[in-house]
Amino acid sequence: MSIPGEWYLVLAAALFIVGALGLLVRRNVLIMFMCIELMLNAANLTFVTFSRMLGDIGGQVIVFFVLVVAAAEVVVGLGIVVAIFRRRASTSADDLNALKG
Amino acid sequence: MAQYLPIFALLVLGVLFGALSFLASGLLAPRKKPTAAKLAPYECGIVPDREPPARFPVRFYLVAMIFIIFDIEIVFLYPFAVVFRQLHTFALVEVLVFAAVVLVSFLYLVSNGALSWGPGKWLRVGLPARTSESTIARVSVPPPPGRAA
Amino acid sequence: MLAAAAIHVPAIRYLAIMPVIVLLGGAILLLAFQSLLRGPMRLRMATVATVAISLAAFGLAWWQWADVEAHGPYTTIAHAVVTDGFSVLVTVLVSAVMALSAMVAEGYLAREGIEGGELHVLALVSASGAVLMAQANDLVIVFLGLEILSIALYVLSAYNHRRAESGEAGLKYFVLGGFSTAIFVYGIALTYGATGTTNLTQLADFLSRNVLIHDGLLLAGMALLLVGFAFKVAAVPFHMWTPDVYQGAPSPITGFMAAVAKAGGFAAFLRVFVSSFGVLRADWRPIIYVLAIVTLVVGAALAVVQRDIKRMLAYSSVNHAGFVLLGLQAASAVGVSSALYYLFAYGFMVVGSSAVVTVIGRHGDRDHDIAAYRGLARRQPLLALCFAVLLLAQAGVPFTTGFLAKLQVVVASVDGRSVPLAVVAMASAALAAFFYLRVTVLMYGPGPDAAPAPVGPGDPPLAVARRTRLNAALLLELAPVAVADQPQRAALAERVPVPALAAVAVGICVLVTVVLGVFPAPLVDFAHRATLLFVP
Repeated sequence: MSIPGEWYLVLAAALFIVGALGLLVRRNVLIMFMCIELMLNAANLTFVTFSRMLGDIGGQVIVFFVLVVAAAEVVVGLGIVVAIFRRRASTSADDLNALKG
Repeated sequence: MAQYLPIFALLVLGVLFGALSFLASGLLAPRKKPTAAKLAPYECGIVPDREPPARFPVRFYLVAMIFIIFDIEIVFLYPFAVVFRQLHTFALVEVLVFAAVVLVSFLYLVSNGALSWGPGKWLRVGLPARTSESTIARVSVPPPPGRAA
Repeated sequence: MLAAAAIHVPAIRYLAIMPVIVLLGGAILLLAFQSLLRGPMRLRMATVATVAISLAAFGLAWWQWADVEAHGPYTTIAHAVVTDGFSVLVTVLVSAVMALSAMVAEGYLAREGIEGGELHVLALVSASGAVLMAQANDLVIVFLGLEILSIALYVLSAYNHRRAESGEAGLKYFVLGGFSTAIFVYGIALTYGATGTTNLTQLADFLSRNVLIHDGLLLAGMALLLVGFAFKVAAVPFHMWTPDVYQGAPSPITGFMAAVAKAGGFAAFLRVFVSSFGVLRADWRPIIYVLAIVTLVVGAALAVVQRDIKRMLAYSSVNHAGFVLLGLQAASAVGVSSALYYLFAYGFMVVGSSAVVTVIGRHGDRDHDIAAYRGLARRQPLLALCFAVLLLAQAGVPFTTGFLAKLQVVVASVDGRSVPLAVVAMASAALAAFFYLRVTVLMYGPGPDAAPAPVGPGDPPLAVARRTRLNAALLLELAPVAVADQPQRAALAERVPVPALAAVAVGICVLVTVVLGVFPAPLVDFAHRATLLFVP
């Protein structure tokens, strides 16, 4: 029995929204990174599903690009986190309060 | 306006799903406040007699991050490997250019000492050369007072 | 289903992607060269190389222009990349701004004692991303350009590791930028699902041939793309990152970011919406309408209450984004060319302004309170004059490019029958003029040494400084108020050293702003001929 494509789309939408809500709710920077990754992977799942439904391989090629870019992005983010939190105990976003006005 | 209906429906569903997840975790999560023993890394077994080292050197994180980048770049070689016979020289040149670009970043890392262990280049200049005696001297430093040896 | 068809290598016109190759390849060569040197690279060498690379891209853009004029616009690499007047103008702008920023950054790096040319390398990479965004004719290429632009900018914002603010700015930019990227990618996915293509030309073609009965998917995709773009160009309500990042980033990067990220972001925004989603303009124009009004008003209103000059520039950039949105909202060829003109004029104005801010900021990038500008005209009349010209141009004073830019977007907006929007824009320009004038008046007022210090005998200077800062009423600083303690005031009264290259960069920015403001014909003509490949 094959699962209809729409189910995958709904799953992807749910994952995307969980990621978005998590990003807005959680205060730990590392968990926020994970939420961004979740959102990007939800988009990837959507691409693959549509690619399958449309019979067009283009969507699967895009996933490669998104994957690599997401990895590059998260490495840059981790680098910044390591640079900032070297001298701090916590990785909470609430501690970042030098800039306001 | 009817055409926007699915979007709103999707939005409402999504928000509902998120809200329900939070609600469910609130309802299903254990009510009791966890005890100190529950929060310990190991709930049973030998109680550690000293604190584990608080943090790793940054270098570990650095190597892990560098690994991710080089690891993920490989992904582009798979499609190439599947079709390189059809694409002839063009694809070969493209992959060589790609490899060269990745190599330059590797070169940069090596030249910056990101992959060399021990004190950095700039720190090593002022230090006396390491000998067996200096190493032994460092290892045999007595433990700080107040700690059961 | 996914049958392996015979694969053909698409035809490539190398001239089309030459500016990107030069910028990106130059960055990589610079990095390689730097890695092979024994010691850290000489700063001057890196700067000269960067300026040379940028000028090469600049020259190639003019070659492209001649080519487009002679043979018309074209797409290449399986229609993924387009070269038209529109992309050429953005390339010209980005490469010029890149060269100017590199000149400003040299003085900054020397002052802060930061060795190595990594900043230049990252800026070149970022600029290549902006050019790629302007040339993209496929949503995937837009995405790649956006990420090349952004990832380098995340690092650049966090570049000065000695300032805590810099790292914080980088992290905030990264988290919110990553969020917007994810939204953007999901938007691409939904658009792809609804239309079966990511190519912008095919997208427009598909939409003009088919009327979707169930177009919820497409509209959702379009809305998500809009949010992603609005984040990048800092339109309200997606502007939250702007003030923090502009304030925390190293000052030369602030100007670079304002000019290049906005140019790249708006270039893709205009192309995707006007040319691909042109058929659906009845759906997106109202959204942009509201977005533009909120952006104009909030940007101007919040800029007025800032005391930090970089935060003020940030909110003013939000206000400027609102004006560019006016051109987008018109959704016509006139609208696009007026938006382009605005981006061009704004790019030079903001890079010049941030160059002056960099110089005034002194060692450690500290003196960004507007009190540092008090009496600047006495100490350094030329610097003050340049800054005044750049600020007044941003306010839209006649005989500058700023005036023409504002005029053109308003005219385009009236042409598009959005008269109320045009009225709001003009009102916000009047409000915005207030804070540009405030700094100008401060510069031409009495110096800090003329101000008696109202410091009580028992007051520690820091508390006074903090209290004054808190009580900062709008007009208070026009009256003599001591903002800092005695030694610092003495320091403020000294002349700031102006690096030669930064002075040249400021001079070029002022020249461009004034000369093209007095003799508007060439640039206006350029912007009018710089049309999109396809406007429905």
